[in-house]
Amino acid sequence: MTTHFKRVSGDAVEYEVFARKTRGEALHQVGSVVAPDDDLAMAYARATYDEERWCEMAIVRKENVIELWAPGEA
Amino acid sequence: MSLSDLVLSIADNKQMLGLRYAEWATRAPSLEADIAAAAMGLDDLGHSRVLYGCLEPLGSDPRGPERESDAGSLRAIAYFDKPWSEWSEFVAANAILDTAFTAMIESCVNGSVEVLQHRLRKMLMEERYHFLHGRSWLKSGISAEPLNRAWREAIEWFGPPDGEVASFHRGGELSMGPRELLTRLEEQLETKAPKVEVDWKRWDPVRRRSRPGAIDEPTFAMLRGLEEKRFAPSSAAKDS
Repeated sequence: MTTHFKRVSGDAVEYEVFARKTRGEALHQVGSVVAPDDDLAMAYARATYDEERWCEMAIVRKENVIELWAPGEA
Repeated sequence: MSLSDLVLSIADNKQMLGLRYAEWATRAPSLEADIAAAAMGLDDLGHSRVLYGCLEPLGSDPRGPERESDAGSLRAIAYFDKPWSEWSEFVAANAILDTAFTAMIESCVNGSVEVLQHRLRKMLMEERYHFLHGRSWLKSGISAEPLNRAWREAIEWFGPPDGEVASFHRGGELSMGPRELLTRLEEQLETKAPKVEVDWKRWDPVRRRSRPGAIDEPTFAMLRGLEEKRFAPSSAAKDS
């Protein structure tokens, strides 16, 4: 079997995946995925982190997270 | 041809699509795509079980004993006859055929048959992620041959303009006929289907395909549980 695609794409973006099981709990980070666009990132997040019955799942591009301080800076 | 025949065709195709997806669970271009292939495979195998379960409530189950011995009696389209050897074949099936089957399911959910309205609705939610996956990979560019083959087989599977899918549409059982299904597919994929000439006289209305042939022997044996039996301990070994 052959494939013409590299296993790691150079233009892939990292996304953080957030989810919660009930409306009462806060969204928390459950992991991350790497994908070249938002559509594929959604498909990958749902496929990778569907082990729970989440009532909500969201993804955000890691580059869009605004960091206030990093470990060791507080 | 009854509505059960159409539902059995969707079920058989979903089963084969699920199996072919699963074959790529360790061969896709990225770890994420591996996991997506496995997850979509599980989804489609689950969908096929739900669809088989609809046959009896629909009033007739067209499955006969020939399905145990004749691979050609299964109603999957020719695209699934052999395992895919290229990622492009996976993507074309994911983007075009999976979305075509979803369009038909949507047509059942929005039609007048209660058992299909209720039991198939959840599939549409799960299929959203198959669609996103397929469309995104399609945009990255794949070779033309599997793409054209998938379009042709989707159009053939929707059926002739005056066939039973068109008749079910007129009768309200389905919310879309062949023309509307193709339009829906094109709208979703944001592209036009290539020009396809189908000789409907050569088209098999039961299997909804023109090409002769059947799924490969190992896959057919696996479907019947024969592959598992090869690895099961013999009764003599169990007794000792």
